[in-house]
Amino acid sequence: MSNEALIQSLSADLVPVRPRRMLREAGLVLGLGATELALFLGFGMMRPDMGEMVGSTYLLWRLGSLAILAAIICTVAIRSYSPTARPRRGLRLAGALAAAAMIGGIFVAPADVGDHTLLERLRPLHGILCAASIFVLSLPILAILGVLMRSGAPTHPRLSALASGAAAGSWGAFVFAFCCPFNDPLYVVVWYSVGCAAVAAAARWRLPRRFNL
Amino acid sequence: MVAAQNGHGGAYRRLLAEMSDWLVRYFQRRLPPGEVDDAVQETLLAVHRRRHTYDPQSPLGPWLAAIAKRKWIDQLRSLGRRPTEELPEDLSIADHEASIVSASVLASLLEELRPAQAQAILLVKVQGYSIEEASSQSGLSASAIKMNIHRGLSRLTAFIEKTYDVE
Repeated sequence: MSNEALIQSLSADLVPVRPRRMLREAGLVLGLGATELALFLGFGMMRPDMGEMVGSTYLLWRLGSLAILAAIICTVAIRSYSPTARPRRGLRLAGALAAAAMIGGIFVAPADVGDHTLLERLRPLHGILCAASIFVLSLPILAILGVLMRSGAPTHPRLSALASGAAAGSWGAFVFAFCCPFNDPLYVVVWYSVGCAAVAAAARWRLPRRFNL
Repeated sequence: MVAAQNGHGGAYRRLLAEMSDWLVRYFQRRLPPGEVDDAVQETLLAVHRRRHTYDPQSPLGPWLAAIAKRKWIDQLRSLGRRPTEELPEDLSIADHEASIVSASVLASLLEELRPAQAQAILLVKVQGYSIEEASSQSGLSASAIKMNIHRGLSRLTAFIEKTYDVE
């Protein structure tokens, strides 16, 4: 088929389209995330001592840093679905913020954590369960971001997929942070990072395969 | 493009015709002559499928250039996966201009690679030698030639993806 014939056929069956709006997509993700959080808390999943913990520096660090990270990476992911966007810089910024948040954990550690061994602090069995819970909780946001990515036109699909996974993972970690009973920042940093990294790796592996510009 | 998003076929036809001319020039400088038409049509199809992603408040050029660059990378990848066929000795070429421009861009890109990778790509993918012939010319084993081509094309693709300017 010649270029002219292709142009004729494409313009012959042209139908109006609604231009993509990033704010609309962000609203959709935010709405789904809020619904998930409301359902999660509505089913009584919040940790029992949340009332005592509210206002503590530790909880502020844990929820605040995860919420900020989720918001920033989600913005990077949604922006990256546009052909002209370059997600590399946004991902670097998110990585730097994540590192800063992890370092910040040193300053909010409760006084008694130094009395335990490394293995006692990490609690591998609980940690794996935490990471798995984060993975499951991230799936709704990952699904909606996957749909938005497919309907968009990312020109760096692997980085877009990575950003989508990291955004979904950090949201899953944020939701899970409301029920996680462990207060050791080392535990949070290690196992929450494992959970987020697993979601990001799965998205990076799976999403570009289902995408064709 | 805004008119095209609203369903005006005539405006869309004119726009695609202008895009097609630009894309032909774009790909002539970056791909072997036989790949240009495929790349242009693939890009036009992508523009058609993804026309809703164009933001009316932004310029059209960078949007089209970003899609064209992605298609260029895809075309390079598929070029790397395709088996190489030896060219007949008596093959005649009518017009050398596009090939010369393409070769000069290719030469500057090959400078980004290690010498062994650049030589392997040049011999097999550009000059059309078989793996065995390239192996005897370069003194490397056939598997080393294949590996150099594979790694060289991957590195070239990564380099193109990282470069900011498109046109």
